[in-house]
Amino acid sequence: MTNTLLFANNIIKTFRNGEHETCVLKGINLSIPHGKMMALQGASGSGKSTLLNILGLLMRPTSGELRLLDHSLINLSDAQLSTYRNQHLGFVFQYHNLLPDFTALENVAFPAAAPTGRLTSEIKKRALLLLDKVGLSHRSHFLASQLSGGQKQRVAIARSLINNPKLVFADEPTGNLDQDSAKQVMNLLRDINQTDNTTFLISTHDNSVAANCDDIVRIVDGKIAGV
Amino acid sequence: MPFSLIVAWRYITANSLQTLLLVLGVSLSVVVFVFITALINGLSIFLTQETTSKIAHIELEPANKIASVLTNDNRFVAQPVSTLQRKQIRNWQQVIDIAQSTPGVSVISPIVDGNAFLVRGEATQPIAIQGVEPSKVDAITNISRYIIKGTAELTTGGLIIGADLADELGLLVGTPVLLKSERGPERLLPITGIFRVNLASLDKRVGFLSINVARPLFELPDGITSLGLKVDNPADAPAIAMVLQNSTQLKSTPWQEKNKSLQDATDAQGRTGNFIQGFALLAIVISIASALLLSTYRRRAEIGIMRATGISRQFVATVFILQGVFIGALGAFLGAAAGYQLCVQLASITKADGSAMLPIAPSEGSYMLVIILTIVGSALAAVLPARSASSVDPVEAIQQ
Repeated sequence: MTNTLLFANNIIKTFRNGEHETCVLKGINLSIPHGKMMALQGASGSGKSTLLNILGLLMRPTSGELRLLDHSLINLSDAQLSTYRNQHLGFVFQYHNLLPDFTALENVAFPAAAPTGRLTSEIKKRALLLLDKVGLSHRSHFLASQLSGGQKQRVAIARSLINNPKLVFADEPTGNLDQDSAKQVMNLLRDINQTDNTTFLISTHDNSVAANCDDIVRIVDGKIAGV
Repeated sequence: MPFSLIVAWRYITANSLQTLLLVLGVSLSVVVFVFITALINGLSIFLTQETTSKIAHIELEPANKIASVLTNDNRFVAQPVSTLQRKQIRNWQQVIDIAQSTPGVSVISPIVDGNAFLVRGEATQPIAIQGVEPSKVDAITNISRYIIKGTAELTTGGLIIGADLADELGLLVGTPVLLKSERGPERLLPITGIFRVNLASLDKRVGFLSINVARPLFELPDGITSLGLKVDNPADAPAIAMVLQNSTQLKSTPWQEKNKSLQDATDAQGRTGNFIQGFALLAIVISIASALLLSTYRRRAEIGIMRATGISRQFVATVFILQGVFIGALGAFLGAAAGYQLCVQLASITKADGSAMLPIAPSEGSYMLVIILTIVGSALAAVLPARSASSVDPVEAIQQ
């Protein structure tokens, strides 16, 4: 059995604006192994976010091959990609993107409750466990809008884990946090990586964040410059 | 409880002021719908009651004679049928028996009617005489209710006439007047009562006599000219008339046939009401669609994050349609209750004579219809916002 979780082969992404075409990714080859915590670094405009969106199945590449758990994803429908995202991938964004009118517990439970159609006691129990893991079980019934920035990001991490994903994408997860909160969040991600063997791909400008990862993938002008 | 319901309810309660205004807007349209429906139906009921309370619901009279060609000994012979034969119902007692046994018939009044002239001095006025049994003077038209001078008593052999006719001839109760029948006989009769129904056709041209006084005047010693019938439900008159026509072979005319203009008027009112009801529903649909469309733009980032975490387009669309249904249902029930109260209050306002200021019928507001239409309309109004929400691109929405 291969150790590769996600495999990208010759991914090209071109954006068209009228007559003008811009090639953002120029043949990306990348293999993300199980259980790794990897950093993705690159200058602004290097194609980092586009690559993260394509690997996270939020955007389709112009060409190339993409395999998750040894299944090709290129020809899947939007609905099938949604199901893959929901069941196998987790997301943590720079601006947490919690639902402000829902409690911390409901935010964490959302990706599990919506597809099944029920907020069951099992889902609530697991959401509470995850909130406990990120140190926020005492804030489970607070509305997202009542939490601090660091707390919101920890809730977002708990949400990304609700469906036991194989791979979590984190886009500048500490970019909007103070130094202490950023350190807490990184420690938390490392702890989850080590205890649950969850794979992380973290896009960051912060060298100290990248230094905490197992590997660093550098992207320059739409190409992998080195791992 | 389905999770989509929880999410939809949370969204509409999150901004309670906006939701309240939206629900009030829907309620107002529902109130307009209920008010217009109750008013138009009330007016129709009022006009129908006013009309049917003063006339026979069904008239039975001899069928028109039609000349026919008969055969005789295998030869065609043109045999004219006399059209000079007097139209009358000779076996009217048997007809009454049949009518009495017909379900739905409540009152039967034998009538001897005909045209005549009232003569006072040099003045002459035409009058349509209704000869009725004194005990049934109120059976077809409740004349007693409209008597303004004298009484509706016919046993003394007097004449009851309308107020307009009395004014034209200067007649008072007790004044004797000469009645000349179209068939020749004439008789001096005292005026015993004067009525005002507020229908010119009655007040100016109709008079009531005892049937026994009318018989010699119109030379009908045994027969009658027609039978006037009342039925329990005036709307059933056409069906009952058909039954009676088949069983008696007499010409049977329901009141609707003689009052087509009333039916046309109520139909026209109904169509006008349908337009107003349609506009009220359109206002509901537009207000809900625009509010939810704004909501999809306001919650674009949230929808984006839902889609990013793999939540289906269908779930997102369902949440927005449910919001439309919630707002529609709340507005519909609130509006229906408020509309009913408004109609009850308006119906209780009376004029000086004790009659209602508005002919509004609070029970005729079509409440179930407006509730169903509003909820269905609200769900349909939410389709466009739901489609817009479900097609949000997660990448674009998150980057906003």
